[in-house]
Amino acid sequence: MSTWLKVARYHLVQPIPYVLVAWWILAFSFAVNIAVYALVPNTGPVAATGSVPDGHYTGALASIFLYFLVLGVNSIGRWLPFGLALGVSRRSYYAGTALLAVLLAAGDGLMLAVLQVIERATNGWGVQMGFFRVPYLLNGPWYLTWLSSFVGMTLLFVYGMWYGIVFRRWGLIGTIAFIAAQVTVGLAATLLVSWAHGWTSVGHFFTGLTAVGLTGLLAVLALALLAGGQVTIRRATI
Amino acid sequence: MTAAISVAGLTRRYRDQVALDDVSVELEAGSITGLLGRNGAGKTTLLRILAGQEFPSAGSVRVLGQPPAENEPVLRRMVFVREDQAYPDIKVGHALRAASWFHPNWDAGLAGQLIADFGLGPKKSIKRLSRGMRSALGITIGLAARAEVTLFDEPYAGLDAVARQIFYDRLLAEYAERPRTILLSTHLIDEAAALFERVVVIDQGRVVLEAAADGLRGVATTVSGPVLAVQDFTAGRPIWNQRRLGSQASVVTVGQLDEASRARARSLGLDLVPLTLQQLVVHAAGWPAAPEADSEGVSA
Repeated sequence: MSTWLKVARYHLVQPIPYVLVAWWILAFSFAVNIAVYALVPNTGPVAATGSVPDGHYTGALASIFLYFLVLGVNSIGRWLPFGLALGVSRRSYYAGTALLAVLLAAGDGLMLAVLQVIERATNGWGVQMGFFRVPYLLNGPWYLTWLSSFVGMTLLFVYGMWYGIVFRRWGLIGTIAFIAAQVTVGLAATLLVSWAHGWTSVGHFFTGLTAVGLTGLLAVLALALLAGGQVTIRRATI
Repeated sequence: MTAAISVAGLTRRYRDQVALDDVSVELEAGSITGLLGRNGAGKTTLLRILAGQEFPSAGSVRVLGQPPAENEPVLRRMVFVREDQAYPDIKVGHALRAASWFHPNWDAGLAGQLIADFGLGPKKSIKRLSRGMRSALGITIGLAARAEVTLFDEPYAGLDAVARQIFYDRLLAEYAERPRTILLSTHLIDEAAALFERVVVIDQGRVVLEAAADGLRGVATTVSGPVLAVQDFTAGRPIWNQRRLGSQASVVTVGQLDEASRARARSLGLDLVPLTLQQLVVHAAGWPAAPEADSEGVSA
């Protein structure tokens, strides 16, 4: 366990990319959006206080989630070779980096929840903007926003790590094959559902799925990706 | 003395080539060994396997009595400095701080002194460092780690002569103060020759020479002088290489020369020059192609 913490700390030896850059991106995007909302008069239907009129969701929150994918890829890249050179085993490196993902996602997710609370309390920053609220996905009580963004960020980080490891082991061709394999699995699932005439039940499943249920599904997926990366890193060489 | 590094029958195959072919080497704890050979001979692959960064195809590897791969208690007691080490996008000071967390015997004072000696600023970004300065960073980590097993792979690529001398001096001072097992691969053989207690020469993935450095001094001698006198003197001795220029000849003979032979050479007006370690390595690596029986003589 202490080695895991050391590995997490190793990544944070230069904390700016891991801790601050995501917020710089988000702050810039927020500033741009709020300027646009302040300039463009709201001609649509006026919504009740505390809710967001249609079309006033910016969707810009996706940037911080995508940044977690980038962080995940980067956490292998050139960090793995130096990490192993410092005498860390692949096992500990992987576990420690995943621990870092969990810590960062918990911290940033909590930030998002707090900002969402402020956004609600200020009627969308005074311009009825839905920046930290995302319909269906992140639109519940603060603790669900925390939980869902925590799971989403961890998932994307771990997914990025797996890409980084695949690239390390098998290079560009291997990475392309890795993507092709995922597309093939998706296609096979689609064909299976079609042959079984199962689209109605699939549709029912997703319409009946709550944000909490989706979060649960994503958590399971994150664990599966975590296991996949763990298997892949075992024989990675530098 | 127990073996700090013990390798038996180690083979590493890549798709179309054999990087290491049935390598067996034992290195005693508390010794400095030179790992010598041409580019692509397999030196880096051997060191990477010892450091657990690469996996063997066959054979056994033990460092401090245990297989190193994924073995943290062993990995923590060793340090591996690579010529082509990749660093994250961080500053020199960050890299040293991170290294201090993972090496239990880390000496921060020594690290500070070394980067000062090398003129390496802790605030410098690693990706902006020249090749030589990058090497200096690797050397600093390798020495300040004070690890029981210290592996250097071409540690001073791009370093100037002064910085290399700093490295040799520091290495010997450190080794004298805290003996450890050091395995150093290098191309600058004669320059580093005085450091080595043992040398291991590999060529095309095979160990072609493994010997105590002392035992190699005078193991081969260049005899030069008038053709007839040289022929007379070297008759019956194993010969590696001969050259003729007009009435002068120059022949490399293998085997120690006793005092009587030396006296005889003097009386024949011959020059005797022992082969340097570098020349021996060049011969051991099969260049120029030597007669069969003679190359056997040295590997024994």
